Amino acid sequence: MKEKKSGLSLHKTTGLTAWSFIIIAVSIIVLFYFYPMIDALLLSFKSGMGANLQFVGLDNYKRLFTDSTFITAVSNTFFYLIIQVPVMIILALFISVLLNDSNLKGRGFFRTAIFLPCVTSLVAYSIIFKYLFAADGLVNMLLMKLHLIADPIQWLTDPFWAKITIIIAITWRWTGYNMIFYLSALQNIDKSIYEAAKIDGANAPRQFFNITIPMLKPIILFTSITSTIGTLQLFDEVMNITKGGPGNATLSISQYIYNLSFKYNADFGYAATVSYSIVFMIVILAIIQFKVAGDKDA
Amino acid sequence: MILKKLMAIIMASVLLLAGCSSGSKDAANKPGANGANSGKETKEITIWAWDPKFNIAALNIAKEAYAKINPDVKINIVEYAQPDTIQKLNTGLNSGTTKGLPNIILMEDYRAQGFLQSYPDAFYDLSDVIKASDFADYKIGPTSYDGKQYGVPFDSGVTGLYYRTDYLEQAGYTAKDMENITWDKYIEIGKKVKEKTGKFMMSTDPNDLGILRVMMQSAGSWYLKEDGKTPNLAGNEALKESLEIYKQMLDEGIMTIHSDWSQMLAGFNSGNVASLVQGNWITPSVKAEASQSGKWAVAATPRLTKTPNATNSSNLGGSSWYVLNMDGADVAADFLAKTFGADVDFYQKLLTDVGAIGTYTPATSGPAYKSGDEFFGGQNITADFAEWTKTIPKVNYGIHTYAIEDIMKVELQNYLKGKDIDQVLNDAQKQAEAQLK
Amino acid sequence: MHKIKRSLTYIFLSIVSFVSIFPFLWMIISSTNKSVDVTKGSLLPGTHFMENLRNLLNTTDLTTALLNSAQIAVITTILALFIASMAGYGFQVFRSKSRDIVFNIILLSMMIPFAALMVPLYRFFAQISKVAPAIGIDTLSAVILPTMTTAFLIFFFRQSTKMFPKDLLEAGRMDGLNELGVFIKIYMPTMKTTYAAAAIITFMSSWNNYLWPLIVLQTPENTTIPLLISNLGAGYAPDYGVIMTAIVIATIPTAAVFFIMQKHFVAGMMGSVK
Repeated sequence: MKEKKSGLSLHKTTGLTAWSFIIIAVSIIVLFYFYPMIDALLLSFKSGMGANLQFVGLDNYKRLFTDSTFITAVSNTFFYLIIQVPVMIILALFISVLLNDSNLKGRGFFRTAIFLPCVTSLVAYSIIFKYLFAADGLVNMLLMKLHLIADPIQWLTDPFWAKITIIIAITWRWTGYNMIFYLSALQNIDKSIYEAAKIDGANAPRQFFNITIPMLKPIILFTSITSTIGTLQLFDEVMNITKGGPGNATLSISQYIYNLSFKYNADFGYAATVSYSIVFMIVILAIIQFKVAGDKDA
Repeated sequence: MILKKLMAIIMASVLLLAGCSSGSKDAANKPGANGANSGKETKEITIWAWDPKFNIAALNIAKEAYAKINPDVKINIVEYAQPDTIQKLNTGLNSGTTKGLPNIILMEDYRAQGFLQSYPDAFYDLSDVIKASDFADYKIGPTSYDGKQYGVPFDSGVTGLYYRTDYLEQAGYTAKDMENITWDKYIEIGKKVKEKTGKFMMSTDPNDLGILRVMMQSAGSWYLKEDGKTPNLAGNEALKESLEIYKQMLDEGIMTIHSDWSQMLAGFNSGNVASLVQGNWITPSVKAEASQSGKWAVAATPRLTKTPNATNSSNLGGSSWYVLNMDGADVAADFLAKTFGADVDFYQKLLTDVGAIGTYTPATSGPAYKSGDEFFGGQNITADFAEWTKTIPKVNYGIHTYAIEDIMKVELQNYLKGKDIDQVLNDAQKQAEAQLK
Repeated sequence: MHKIKRSLTYIFLSIVSFVSIFPFLWMIISSTNKSVDVTKGSLLPGTHFMENLRNLLNTTDLTTALLNSAQIAVITTILALFIASMAGYGFQVFRSKSRDIVFNIILLSMMIPFAALMVPLYRFFAQISKVAPAIGIDTLSAVILPTMTTAFLIFFFRQSTKMFPKDLLEAGRMDGLNELGVFIKIYMPTMKTTYAAAAIITFMSSWNNYLWPLIVLQTPENTTIPLLISNLGAGYAPDYGVIMTAIVIATIPTAAVFFIMQKHFVAGMMGSVK
């Protein structure tokens, strides 16, 4: 306990004081996240029905590579990730910049309205989405009235459109959530920076790319990482809206873990192995994101 | 200094937590809420089931009946969604503790073998408590294991062909034309109905292959061989014909697609769908649309033609009661034995109040099984269902029904896209063999 | 030119708002309809709200579920905000190599999918039950404990602390406050905005938490709102009018927390942080 290198403090703070600030949080995380994960690691080398688990070494890990359902789940999850996260972040950023304009009338209403989806429970919004996107649902009715499509789209039962529906659902639920982060960060940007830029003749897009984006970089990084994690752990939406179908077209990795644990004849060992595969993927993705964005924070 | 304050805060929050939990417990706990685990001489049992209008309602009737026989026993009925009971049972049994688990649990017949074989010591042997031969024959396979009877068979999933008499009439068919038909005939009628009324004959959910299960079981076949473990997909005649019928119904445009339960209900409640092949437990949902009273009838399930041993009876869903091997098991077993296991009057009340058809054979001679239903034009559908129940082929649902069904869902999509049927079944077989070790 | 841009902005925001709100309207309309009409997707308000509500109250223990959910959400929010903000502050203000490493390890926990944790965590609580049944399986504490702090919140507070004016801390220390004093008397009041946002997020995720309570709670006395709703939809013949009514009631507290907090949120933005 002899560190006091960087940090904000000019004072001598003992290591003990510093550690005491974080110790409760750290103990909770260790106790309720890392300890069970060690248990899961041990489980991932076992296999069998119910409580009759036998040590099988690396068999479960080998099985991953020949398990076509697992491979489908992984590729579905990445499909969601590559499309949904960027779309949502750009949309949220765009809306928050529009809403940050103090001359805009009805800002409070728009902000509240757009954030509102976040207060719904998953059960609620999945039931609602199933109706809106049913073959004879309101979305198809509207699109056909507008002559955008001739025949109803099978939003929930066509393998491609079902994936799109899931993406729309997640975007609906979480865009407002991310918007709030950007809005509060935008409020913290000093207005005089924009004034100065205006005097220099910078137009709105230039202001956006030269001031807003760099100033918001930490928060954009933060939201893109949490969204990535959220998407990789995607469970509730798929479970409630499409149940993974049609076929396994919308199955996510977390849902496959759930199926292995509870839907099929329970194999907790193999379920733990699949879990570790996500942890592994997420760690790699997080490293990439940090490297790309650079963590040399402000 | 700081550390001390911190410790104080931690202690305070822990106390707060402990306080709130024990507080809420005490309040709710007056006579020992989860009494299943409190004390050896327990006179209190807990039961888990799903569906308030069906299983829970049935339990309440049983509870009332049992109160007259043994008023000292307190019965707690707890309602959980079906997948939730499975999840809780799995986590509980796996962690080796019966704390929090109920004395009696309702399990779907498709799942029972998985639990009985995975946790053989967890369930209480009911062989001497009930008479297995009193129940419908097809229910005994799923509820027994290793020669012992573990489950008390409950509701019948006997299927029927529900159809709109007015639509059929418009298409030129009478009730007589619907008796004991084949699927080929069904499709032929469906085309006529579509042509004359514009209504779909049937509606299906690509995520729920219930209709394939109905077809398979009607010919005594299943996803698994008789051992309940070996996948039975490649060369399964019944499954092959079922898939062909499924595709044909889609190709002919007589089957529409829904994506969840409520949309299926909406399909026939709104009059867009002319018929359905479902378990008898769908009856209350059909009757929910009161304006259609008198316009419905029920016929026997259509049968396969190419597959040998095909019948006009089948089953879909259905579940049974199990006693967990823990304190209070004897009381729990006694409760089941004297209600679901023996009480003919109880089954009459079950039918009139809940609309549930049991699988306890002696009950079918009771008065409630003898009256017609105005909604179905006066037809005595209960008697018909009871009749069909007798001939449901017995199959072993085994331990992998849902795992294989998920494989089949993927292959079904491939088949609908034009993949060769034998190839479909062979690929499904290979996948199942690789996955289910 | 400017006017066109303005109008486009309004049109765009109006469309987005409508899309966001529409499902709520439909949900409220449905709570006034009979089950059969809900399944037909009716857009017209009906007259069955009271009947749905009566059915809901008769068939379920709604008050117990609401009280339990409230208890869990409030305690979780208070504890989580305090513990996580302290840690986030600690990690940022007292930065050091070793604490940065600990922080990065903590971050890893954010990446563990709950689906992976649920079975081992249950086994862990089964062990706890043997020594301390008051915080073991089937207690509200068991729901609260693992969510008492999250890596997400710690990260969130650490990130926000980066924008915290450092001279304020120094000023506090000059005034003779110790480190905890600086945190409680200076940092916490200044960061109202952050706390409001964190409170909204934590309360909502706790109120809507489904999977873990589902696994760890057993007796009906301990049930929560999401569990109650999922039970309603689990039958052979679910009553969708009643379900929609339950959903509307379940949404009221989260919406209320948002609307109440939102004011602080806005006030916090206008005021302190400059």
